[in-house]
Amino acid sequence: MNTIVCVKQVLDPEIPPAKFKIDPEAKQVIPPAGVPPVISVYDERAVEAACRLKDKHKGKITVISMGSAKAADVIKHAISMGADDGFVLQDPAFENLDSFGTAYVLSKAIQKIGGYDLILCGRQAADWGAGQVGSILAEILGLPVVTLACAIEAVDKKLKVKRMVSDGYEVLEAPMPSLVTVSSEIGLPRLPGGMGLMMARKKQIPIWKAKDIGAEPSQLDKAKAHTEVTGLSVPTRKTECEIIAGGTPGEAAANLALKISKLI
Amino acid sequence: MDTHKGVLVVGEITEGKLAPITIELLGAGRKLANELGEELSILLMGSKAGGLGQEGIAYGADHVYVAEDTLLDQYNSEAYTQVAAELCRKALPSIMLLGYTDVGCDLAPRLNGRLGGGLAMDCLALSVDPATKLLVSTRPVFGGNAQATIVSKVARPQMATVRLKTMPPAERNDSRQGKVIPVEGKIDPSALKVKVVERIKEETEGVKLEDAEVVVSGGRGIGSAQNWGMIKELALALGGAVGATRPACDEGWASVSLQIGQSGKVVSPKLYIAVALSGAMSHISGHLGSKYIVAINKDKDANIFSVAHFGIVGDYKEIVPALTAKLKELKSK
Amino acid sequence: MSPVSATYWSIPGYVIFWVLFAVAFGLFLQRFYLLYRLMRLGKQENRFDQIGQRIKNMLVEVVPQWCTLKTVTRKDLAGLAHALLFWSFSLFFISYIIFIGLAGGFGLSSLIERTPFETVYFSILDIAAVLVTLTLILAAVRRYIIRPPRLEPTAEAGIILIMVFSLMALHVLGVGFDHAARGVHASWPPLGAALAGFLSGTGISQGTLEAGYRWVWWLHYLVILSFMVYIPRSKHLHILASLVNAFFKPLGPKVALEPIPLEALEAPEGSATFGASKIQDFTWKDLLDFYACAECGRCHVNCPAQLTGKSLSPREVIHHLKEHLLETGPGLLANKTDASPGSQAEAPGKTMIGDVVTEEEIWACTTCGACQEVCPVNIEHIRKIIDLRRNLVMAQSKMPESAQLMLRNMQQRGHPWAGVQSMRLRGDWTSDLELKILAEGDNADTLFWVGCTGALVERNVKATLSMTRVLKAGGVDFAVLGDAETCCGDPARRAGYEFQFQMMAEQNIELFKSYNIKEIITTCPHCYNTIKHEYPRYGGDFKVVHYTELIADLISQGKLKLTNELNSKLTYHDPCYLGRYNSVYSEPRRILQAIPRAKLEEMERSRDTGFCCGGGGGLMWIEEQPGTTKINQMRIEDVIKTGVDTVVAACPYCLQMFEDAIDHKGIKESLKARDLVELVEAAMKQF
Repeated sequence: MNTIVCVKQVLDPEIPPAKFKIDPEAKQVIPPAGVPPVISVYDERAVEAACRLKDKHKGKITVISMGSAKAADVIKHAISMGADDGFVLQDPAFENLDSFGTAYVLSKAIQKIGGYDLILCGRQAADWGAGQVGSILAEILGLPVVTLACAIEAVDKKLKVKRMVSDGYEVLEAPMPSLVTVSSEIGLPRLPGGMGLMMARKKQIPIWKAKDIGAEPSQLDKAKAHTEVTGLSVPTRKTECEIIAGGTPGEAAANLALKISKLI
Repeated sequence: MDTHKGVLVVGEITEGKLAPITIELLGAGRKLANELGEELSILLMGSKAGGLGQEGIAYGADHVYVAEDTLLDQYNSEAYTQVAAELCRKALPSIMLLGYTDVGCDLAPRLNGRLGGGLAMDCLALSVDPATKLLVSTRPVFGGNAQATIVSKVARPQMATVRLKTMPPAERNDSRQGKVIPVEGKIDPSALKVKVVERIKEETEGVKLEDAEVVVSGGRGIGSAQNWGMIKELALALGGAVGATRPACDEGWASVSLQIGQSGKVVSPKLYIAVALSGAMSHISGHLGSKYIVAINKDKDANIFSVAHFGIVGDYKEIVPALTAKLKELKSK
Repeated sequence: MSPVSATYWSIPGYVIFWVLFAVAFGLFLQRFYLLYRLMRLGKQENRFDQIGQRIKNMLVEVVPQWCTLKTVTRKDLAGLAHALLFWSFSLFFISYIIFIGLAGGFGLSSLIERTPFETVYFSILDIAAVLVTLTLILAAVRRYIIRPPRLEPTAEAGIILIMVFSLMALHVLGVGFDHAARGVHASWPPLGAALAGFLSGTGISQGTLEAGYRWVWWLHYLVILSFMVYIPRSKHLHILASLVNAFFKPLGPKVALEPIPLEALEAPEGSATFGASKIQDFTWKDLLDFYACAECGRCHVNCPAQLTGKSLSPREVIHHLKEHLLETGPGLLANKTDASPGSQAEAPGKTMIGDVVTEEEIWACTTCGACQEVCPVNIEHIRKIIDLRRNLVMAQSKMPESAQLMLRNMQQRGHPWAGVQSMRLRGDWTSDLELKILAEGDNADTLFWVGCTGALVERNVKATLSMTRVLKAGGVDFAVLGDAETCCGDPARRAGYEFQFQMMAEQNIELFKSYNIKEIITTCPHCYNTIKHEYPRYGGDFKVVHYTELIADLISQGKLKLTNELNSKLTYHDPCYLGRYNSVYSEPRRILQAIPRAKLEEMERSRDTGFCCGGGGGLMWIEEQPGTTKINQMRIEDVIKTGVDTVVAACPYCLQMFEDAIDHKGIKESLKARDLVELVEAAMKQF
C-alpha cells in the first residue's frame, strides 16, 4: 500500500521554557541560537505509523513538508525511518499560510504524487498546533477522514483505525484511500536504523515550487486568509511558590500534608 | 458578511443530558450573543434530542435546532458533519462554538473544511472586538509556551472549540422562552464511508482523571515502574487520580490514557501534585487550570516551581512515602 | 642406544616412531587447519602493517612473560607461577626436539646422548621439573580447593595438569631407568641420578631396567604426542594462539573500534551488515581472540558490571562466542563449499544475540577497558560488544528505552542530554564572559572544546567556567565554539549508533578545518579520546590535549602558580578514557602534588587498575541494570576507604557519578566531589 505523510519542521518543543522568546510585533517566535529545528512530534509518529504499515504490507511511503528549504532535514529524517521518497514544498507564496492555505498546497502536491491508499498527518503541529490541516485536506481531496488514531491496520483493502476517546477507544473501518491523523498514543517512533541512515544520506530531496504543483496564486492570497493571528504573548504567571521546609525530608513532607489537608 | 448572524453552539449529549461542556458553551455563547446583540442557538443531535430542547432554552438558547435520527445517537464524524453543515448553510451563524472534546476535535476541523470558515482550536478565552465586532479567540500555541489571539476577518462562520472547564457554565433558568426547531434533512447513508466497528470503554482504576478533585502526576524523574507505585499510593490516600507526563507514558510506567498535557488530557482539579517532573510547557498546559499546584522536585530550578503554589525541593523517594503516611494519619483522625 | 633403534614385534622402532608422529601431527594439523578455516570465516581486517614492530611486540610480551607478569598484584600472584611454568616448560619443549626428535627420530643419539651437554641440560630440567610440579600443585589447589571466582574448575584444566605432571615424571623416570640400566653412578642430573641410585638398590635385573627404560621412553613419547593432539582441541590452544595474537595486537590506541566502511553504504539493499549478528560478521582477528582465550578470568574479576552483580562477564562472552564459532563454523564452511550463494544459514536453534550473548550482557558494558588492560593474551573485548550493539541498534532497532531516548537526542538535538532535563542551551555558559567565540570567517589556532556535559549540565558548567579562568590565568590564547558546538559523537559510537557518530565526526572535522584549528583542548576524556584517536580515521588530524596535560605543563613552565593552601586530603580517580585509554596517569597527580597542603592518597584500585565510575560507554544515559549495587556506589566505597575529604575527578561523567553516589549515601558533609580544574582555580594565585 502507498502512503503519503505530511510532516512539518518545528522549533524544538523541548527547549527550556525560560529560553522561549517571541517577537510580539511580528507575532513570531524567536528561535534560540544553536537549537536545531525538529520534526513535529505527532508528524514523526505519523511517519512511524506509515512505517509499521510498510513493515507488514510493503508499498511506498512518500513524505511531503511545506516550509523552508531546511525542511529537507525532516524529510531525510522520515526517510531514515523508512520512507522512500520525499519533497519539500517551498515557495515565498507558501510563507505564513493559514490552515486552509497549507491544506491547499499539500493537496496540490498530493494530487501531483497520486496513487495513494492512505494519507497520514499528525493530529496537530507541535508549534502553532492549529489542529485542522488534516481534516481540511481531507475535505479538499474528498476523502473520508479519521482523526486521533492510536493504531492503524490494513485488513482486506480496508483500514482499521483505533481512535482515542476520553474514556476508551473506538475502532473504525475506513475505505482506501482515506486520510488519518495520528496521535502520540501510537507509540514511540523508531530510531532510524543503519539502512535508513544510509538511504537518507544518499537521497536528494527535490524542492517543489508553487508552479511545480500548479498552486493557484489566488488560493494563496493572504488577504483572503480564513484566520489571522492578531496577537502573540507569553503568559505571565505570577504564582509565588511557597517552599515547604523541614529539618528532614520527612518533616517537610509532614508539613506539606498538613497544608494539603486544609486545601481539600 | 452581514448575511451571517448569531451564535450557534454545537451541543453534546451524554447519558441523556446536556454535557457539562455544552452548558459551558451556552454560557460563553450567551455572553458573545449579548455583546453582539444577536441570538444564541444550539444544535442538538440524536434520536432523543428533542427531549432536551427545553433544557437548552433554560440554559440560554433562543433557538434549539433538533436533528433526530438514530444515526446520530453516537458520534459519527460524517453524519454529524452533514447535519451541522446543512444547518449552517441555512441558519448562517456568524459564530459557531464547539467543545474541545472527542467530538469537537474531530467535528470542528471537518466542518470548518466543509464550510470554509475560520477555526481556532482549544480556546481558553473568547471575546468580541468592540470595534470590529469580530470574534477574538485566545488559544495556547507552542505547547503552551505562548498564547495567540486568532481572528477570522472574512471567513464565516467564525469557529472556536473551547477547552473544558475554562468558562463558567450557563445558569439554568426554566422560565426562559425560546423555540425548538426540528432540523429537516436526511443523512445520506452512502456518504458514511467510515464505519464504527466497536467502542471500548476502558475502566480506569479509582477516580476518573477528568473528574478527579485531586490528581497526582509523575514524570521521567520517577525512574522506574516499581517506584511508580508511590504515585499510585499517594493518589489513593488522597482519593484522587493518577496522571503522567508524556515521557512517563513513553517509558510505559503509566497507560497513555493517563497522559496529561498538550497531546493528552486537560485536567483542572482542585489539587494537582506534580512529582519528579520538570514541568515542560506541553505538560503544564494540561493542568494549569488546577486550583492548587504542588511540586515535588529535586531540582530547585525546575520549571514546575514557576507555576506551583507549594513545593518541596528534595528527593521524591523520601518525600512521597512520608507525605502519604502523614495524610493517611490525618485522615484516620 | 636409543629405544628407537630397537625392533618391536619385528617392526623397526624408527617406523613406529614416525608412524606415531605422523598420526599425531596429522591430527594436530587437521585441527589446526580447521581452526584456520574457521578463523577465515571472519571479515577482512588488515593487521599486517609494521611487521617489525609486531614481531618485537610478540617477543617482548611472550619471552619475558610480560603478558602475565603485568597482571601480578599482591592479591593475585598467579602470573608469577605462569611465567615460571612457561619458562620451565619451554625448556622441556626444546628438550623434546633435541632429545626425542633429533636424538630419537633422526637417529642422532650418538651425538647427543651421554654428552656433558645432556647432563647439564637434564640437570637444568630437573630444577624446572620441580618448579613446574610446584606450580601444578598450586594451580590444582587454587582451582579445586580455593576456587577464586575468576577460575572455573573445569575438567580440561585437570587433564592438562595431569598431562604436564606426567611429562615431568616420565622425564625423570626415563633418566632414572636409563642410568640404572647402564649402571651409571653420577650425581647429575640430581633427580634422575637419585632415582637411578634407588632403582639400582632394589636389585631389579638389568634386563628389566632396560625394558623399563624403553617402555618409559615410549610412554613419554606418547604423552608428548597426545599433548600435541590435545592442545588445539582445548583451551590450551592459547599456548599457540596467544603468541599469534600478540603479533596481531593493535598498534595504535589500546581500545580501538573499527569504522563500518562506507562501502557498506553502497551494498545492494538488504545485504549490508551492521555490526555483528552472526559469528562470521566479526573480523578474523576477533575470531583469533577466541582461540587465544585461556579462560583465566582476569577480565571477569575486574569487570565493573560483573563485580556489581550484572550478568555480563567478559570471560563468558568470549568463551560462549568461541563455543558458538566451533559449533556453527563447520556448518558454515560446508555451506561455503556447497557454493550455494547467499545461503549462509545460521546454525539451527541458536542466534548469536540472545542465545549466545544476551542483550543484558551487551548493554551492561561501560567500555571501561579493565578487561582489555588486564588480559594477558591481548583479547579485544570491547569492540566485539560494540559490534553486537551496532547490530542491535542499527539492524534490529532493539535497545533499552533509555538508550533510544539518548540516541534520538543525539540525532535530533546534537547532544545526549534531553532538552528540558538540562534547562540550559549550548551557548548559555558563555554569557557574560569575555571569550573569543568563533564565527564564520574566523581563524584560531587553539580551540577549547567544552563538550556536551560541560556546556549543558549545571554542575559541570561550574567546572567549565573554572577552566576558562584557569586558561586565561595561564595565558592560553584560545577560542570556543559557543552554541555552534555539538557532540563529539562518543555516546552514539559506544551505544552502537555508528553512522550517527560518523556524521558527527565528519561535521566537526569540517568545522574545525573551517577555522584552521590546530590544537584542541578538552576537559572531557571521552571527547579527548574520540577526537584524538578516532577523528584521524575521518581525516581530522589535530593536536589534542587534555586539560590535565596542559595545566601540568603550565605549572612546570611557571605560567601557573598554585600558592593558596588547600588544607585537604584528597584522592584522585583515574577516568577510564584518560587513564587506561590514553595512559595519562602522572599529569593529574603532578598537578595535585603542586597544590600546597593538598595531601594525595591513592585508592587501592588506581592508575591502570582504576575502577570505572559507571558512566562510560553511553551508560551515563542508559539505565544501569539491577545488580547487587551500582557501579558508582561501589567506587565511592573505594574513596571512603582512603579517608579523604575530597574525591577529585577529571571527567564530567565521573564528577556526576560521584556526586550522585555521595548523595545516595548521605555523606555530603564529609566528602566532596570536585573537578581537578576547580581545585587548580582554588589554589591559583588570584591576579
